Amino acid sequence: MIQIIDNTLTTFDYCLPTKEELQVFCELLFDIGVDIIELSVDAYERMEQIINGKKFALHVEFLEMADLFPGFYRYICHSEEPKDNVINEIQINDAREIVRLKSLQKCSEVRIVGLDDLICKSYDKTMAEIKQSVPKSKINFCPENAYGCASALAVQWVMMGGCYVTTSFAGCKNNAATEEVIMALRLALRHKPNRDLSMLPRLVQLFEKITNTTIGNKKPVIGKNIFKVESGIHADGIQKNPANYEAYDPKSVGGIAEIVIGKHSGMKAIQYKLQELKIPLPNEAVMEKMVAFVKETCTEKKSSLKDEEFRQLVHEVIANERNETYR
Amino acid sequence: MKEMKHIVDTTLRDGEQSPGIVLRTEDKVKIAKFLDELGVYEIEAGVPCLGAIEEESICKIKENTKQAKISVWSRMRPEDIKKSLVCQPDIIHIGTPVSYIQIYSKLKKNKVWVQKQILECVAIAKSNNVDITVGLEDASRSDIGFVLSLIKELSREGVNTIRLADTVGILTPNRTKEIVETIKENSDVKIEMHVHNDLGMAVANSIIGAKAGADFIDITLFGIGERTGNCNFYDFIKASDSIFEFAMTKKQIREVEKQVYEELRGAM
Repeated sequence: MIQIIDNTLTTFDYCLPTKEELQVFCELLFDIGVDIIELSVDAYERMEQIINGKKFALHVEFLEMADLFPGFYRYICHSEEPKDNVINEIQINDAREIVRLKSLQKCSEVRIVGLDDLICKSYDKTMAEIKQSVPKSKINFCPENAYGCASALAVQWVMMGGCYVTTSFAGCKNNAATEEVIMALRLALRHKPNRDLSMLPRLVQLFEKITNTTIGNKKPVIGKNIFKVESGIHADGIQKNPANYEAYDPKSVGGIAEIVIGKHSGMKAIQYKLQELKIPLPNEAVMEKMVAFVKETCTEKKSSLKDEEFRQLVHEVIANERNETYR
Repeated sequence: MKEMKHIVDTTLRDGEQSPGIVLRTEDKVKIAKFLDELGVYEIEAGVPCLGAIEEESICKIKENTKQAKISVWSRMRPEDIKKSLVCQPDIIHIGTPVSYIQIYSKLKKNKVWVQKQILECVAIAKSNNVDITVGLEDASRSDIGFVLSLIKELSREGVNTIRLADTVGILTPNRTKEIVETIKENSDVKIEMHVHNDLGMAVANSIIGAKAGADFIDITLFGIGERTGNCNFYDFIKASDSIFEFAMTKKQIREVEKQVYEELRGAM
């Protein structure tokens, strides 16, 4: 069984989210397919209580602290001492350090943090070595993202039978991005734990509010502009069948496909946009003028056109056409 | 000794297709000059069939660069190949849909038609003494048997480099390795990796592709491009310069990014 721990709520200590915001954030994380939410002590104290029936793990600095906060599914601690319900965490920065795992052989669950450059090494061999080093332990892998490869490593770990990973929303804790891993597992392994990814925009909004940051427009799965298409060939392909150029339905992640008119838009993209804006299609000669005028205008202003700007341009072209006809 | 890998920059083609930016001729020439100085092996300069302005840009880029090979992107249509020839590029890259979904649903044709059409386009370009690379579009969702038979036909006609395009960005590390290794085992063609970042794996998949035998890696400055973008130039070099030799350093790429930020920021 694949299990994802999300540790986003160990990164909110410098922010001041309300109890309600934290609770909604947790509910949304469970909605999108996270199995266990890891909290810092600060986040837990601010939340006051955890959601009944859901799995929460508490990140503690010392093992003894676990006894102060009963009722958690797991406690996560950077320690080598085995203890019930504890995930013993170890930082491993290089594949050569895997030998250090031997000190954790008696632990029932182990989390490995680091190994950010594993993609450049023999990652499959190293992953097999990890499993051999702690054969009796359940191993949770939390690859770090210094080289932009954490999501790929997390997915690879699952595909090699690891099944247990730690991620954070938008990769905010410099590890794999929760939403990328969930989507990759959905596409590559058909892993669909009956969850609702259309909640993602709400999660983005809340994350941005809590952290006072902005998610990048092109951020995989959750970026605001990732379903906008301009190129004629892509716009046409998507209209014929969205699956031509979309790995998954934008609606499944609460998004919407949008054709943007710009320098690369051809006749078909412009036809689609006219239909979308409920503007009657002119004849082919006028359409050709429109395509040329769009390219010229976009090149001149160095950007694509907003719908309103496009509407205005269409009116101009049609008005000019009428003037020429009646001259 | 580290293995040398070549960089193909597609900022001016795939990157510019990102909604939000338009590059004028002077912008394109400026960016191309920086990329040329950086030691990029090939600059994909644009799409000639877009019109006169694009054609002019490509010709100016050709005039203003010294080392990099200048390539143009063309659809698999004889008339587009002829338009590409006007720009006198070093390489014409011909985009060839190879997944069944793209062949049957986008082109509304069949495999036989694709094979016939691409070979006709290759023949036109070859007869004009231009190098060709063929882009296997949507290769990540294709039937590997069809891909291998197409590569065989293309090799017979003198095509020695194919671009493996993960058009919708769904590759995972293992699948990338499997496809590249299968092509290497069954042919002598050189492979160019062209991946998108839809699952946040563009850098990882480019590295895996290069490790499995791809000689060329497609990137864009700042990773701009359709949807979530392409493989980010800086990130790719930063992540893999410990195992591969490149013509440029990550520091030099950062310098170029600073110089062209204004031109490209609309796509980010």
